Amino acid sequence: MTKIKVATDWLEACAGCHMSFLDIDDRILELLKHVELHSTPITDLKHPPEEGVDVGILTGAVGNTHQLEVARRMRERCKILIAMGDCATFGGICTMLNFFDKEEALRRGYVETESTVEGRIPRSEEIARPLEKVLAVDEVVPVDVHLPGCPPSADAIWFVLTELLAGRMPVLAGDNLKYD
Amino acid sequence: MTKVQITIDGQKIAAEAGSTVLEAAREAGLDIPTLCHHPALSNWGACRICLVEIERQRALQTACTFPVTEGMVVHTESEKVVAARKFVLQLLFSERNHYCMYCQMSGDCELQSLAYRYGLTEWPYPRPVEPLAVDATRQYFVMDHNRCILCRRCVRACAELVANHTLGVRERGIHSMITADLNVPMGESSCIQCGTCLQVCPTGALMDLKSAYRGRETQVERTRSTCVGCSIGCGIELVSRANHLVRIEGDWDAEVNKGLLCVVGRFEPLFDDRQRVTQPLVRRRGLLEPCEWDEALGLVAEKLSGDSLAALITTRATNETMTQFGRLFRSLGAEMAAVGSLAPAPGAEGRLTDLAEADVILVVGADLKKDHQVAGAFVRRAVDRGARLALVADADNGLASYATWHVGFDQMDSLVGMAAQASRPVVVCAADLPAEAEAALAPLAGKASFLGLSRGSNSRGAVAAGLPLSRGGEASARVLYILAEDDRLHIPRNGAGFVVAQASYVGPLTDMADVVLPAPIWAEQSGHVTNTEGRVQSVQAALTPPENVWPTVKVLKTLAGRLNLAL
Ligand code: SF4
Ligand code: SF4
Ligand code: SF4
Ligand code: SF4
Ligand code: FES
Repeated sequence: MTKIKVATDWLEACAGCHMSFLDIDDRILELLKHVELHSTPITDLKHPPEEGVDVGILTGAVGNTHQLEVARRMRERCKILIAMGDCATFGGICTMLNFFDKEEALRRGYVETESTVEGRIPRSEEIARPLEKVLAVDEVVPVDVHLPGCPPSADAIWFVLTELLAGRMPVLAGDNLKYD
Repeated sequence: MTKVQITIDGQKIAAEAGSTVLEAAREAGLDIPTLCHHPALSNWGACRICLVEIERQRALQTACTFPVTEGMVVHTESEKVVAARKFVLQLLFSERNHYCMYCQMSGDCELQSLAYRYGLTEWPYPRPVEPLAVDATRQYFVMDHNRCILCRRCVRACAELVANHTLGVRERGIHSMITADLNVPMGESSCIQCGTCLQVCPTGALMDLKSAYRGRETQVERTRSTCVGCSIGCGIELVSRANHLVRIEGDWDAEVNKGLLCVVGRFEPLFDDRQRVTQPLVRRRGLLEPCEWDEALGLVAEKLSGDSLAALITTRATNETMTQFGRLFRSLGAEMAAVGSLAPAPGAEGRLTDLAEADVILVVGADLKKDHQVAGAFVRRAVDRGARLALVADADNGLASYATWHVGFDQMDSLVGMAAQASRPVVVCAADLPAEAEAALAPLAGKASFLGLSRGSNSRGAVAAGLPLSRGGEASARVLYILAEDDRLHIPRNGAGFVVAQASYVGPLTDMADVVLPAPIWAEQSGHVTNTEGRVQSVQAALTPPENVWPTVKVLKTLAGRLNLAL
């Protein structure tokens, strides 16, 4: 049996969702019997292969031009796209920024932080620019499976992956569906 | 009661005529979700989450407002219904900020739990981006418009239960906002901070400063008890976690208050920041120093025997404490008193519920916006319903704007005469009235029902235990024993040579005492209190006192033992 190829990436996120993924503990051995884990931010391979994967997982919201690119590339290179975690599904805590003036937020972050001396807002052409608003993944590319949670529990992640392996679209309910 | 036959989800139900589909379904144990509906409030039909399919009705109907009729067939979870409910939820989540992960209500929120129930995993509509104001101008709780779903439970609670009419809705459509009075900050409005709106809010929009983020329903304990903030004796639920008080809520099932509380009962205990007395203290060379119970009690027992003795007790104490206190100090021949007083009742004693039936309410000397505030809410409700308020009180009385007549004591006779003409007059009297006012009420004996508002939470319990009531300043003896517990009593020393204070907190009493015996606070002891109507109600301990604090009754019994008194 050929293994299912999975790639993951993170956008504007705290890495908590990926930690929760690792929290499936020894079940990862079982998973690896059926799954070939391709690129992830926590392994050496960073980009999904050009020939594509079966399942792509994105965590985090889309807050700048680089993340927009990453999200689009993942969408192009996977068959089923999972938005994992509140930030990816709804925008999550990153969207707090949307309730502030962007310049004010940048100033607060780069200039006015208590530990900063002579700070500057970075505006090089070579780095990503913040978007007007922080967006959920499905505001940027179509998403097939939404898995909310801040982070989603290891059990919920396990449930979604095993349902997909069994050829079913996961339907979240009970303890698997949480927004916090 | 006439019954009508209806069918809900295939189940045949005999429902009460005139009830709503929701009531009939709940009566039969069927669960229709609701948000704007609340059992203590009128039905509104604002949120549309309770939509059901009723055969031969063109559109889906709101179960909370739709009355049952003979032969009605209802489907509560059909495909169409579920789709409509999901749509309603999606709209609610897109309208304002419902990013749950940083909301204090997460885990206990009614909106969130419905989103879980209907499997909401994505928001198909644009997310909100406009921040709304957060109104933190009130002392005890905050209004965060960003989480509000405009269900108007708060508006109805303020109008129908508290009859304070502070809240309303301004603007229309998506611009609608909950507002206070003519759009002033909540803290500058007519709000009396009773917190009833807070208690009924289904979301995180109304946020209790003390209990926010301090524990979800699954993590806290609930203890039914009675408020000892005043002599109304409202039924409360103490919400605690890890031996800390998190919140106080009104008990919807309590006969006295039916869920209502006032600022004194709901918030003030949580903001009590006085320093606890945690061990016995004796004064040596002018300074209070910690000592063992054995030493402190030995010293007290020695002073209690033989010398001229006065003993005062707070009227926040339970009936059990009053009884034990009475036994001990009676057998010691002490001059005893409980610090409180009863209101006059020259006629049949009434109940708070009489206010709901009254056509004329004569309030004499009481400011129900300051004291006995829940009774104030009942009076305002009566006025809303058409009863007339006759006020004998100072010009600045808090209920003045509700009064049809408002006079000073000197013109009281005219209002007494008028009340005598009413068909169901109720007289609400404050304690400590001038003797002339008391006498002026005589013509209403046999005509009106009298609701006296005693001063001190448990003055009636004190009287029942045989303790005389006093203002607390009169006692003079060589030894003074003051059982204050957590009360803020102001008792002068009156030349006493030795003062014992049984107190929960450091304050003026402990400053003057020669021996301080630590006492539990009200939430740490069980027993009974008797409210101003004479109802004996139960007080339940929700917290464990600090390690070295003995129950009040145990201290009294131990003292009796030391003095070889068989009580
Ligand atoms: S009010 Fe309820 S639904 Fe809204 S953010 Fe808070 S917990 Fe979530
Ligand atoms: S504040 Fe709460 S109770 Fe009032 S309308 Fe908003 S959600 Fe409803
Ligand atoms: S606290 Fe009481 S008076 Fe104030 S708005 Fe809420 S219900 Fe009305
Ligand atoms: S009216 Fe009295 S008993 Fe009721 S909550 Fe207020 S203080 Fe407590
Ligand atoms: S509960 Fe029926 S419309 Fe809100």
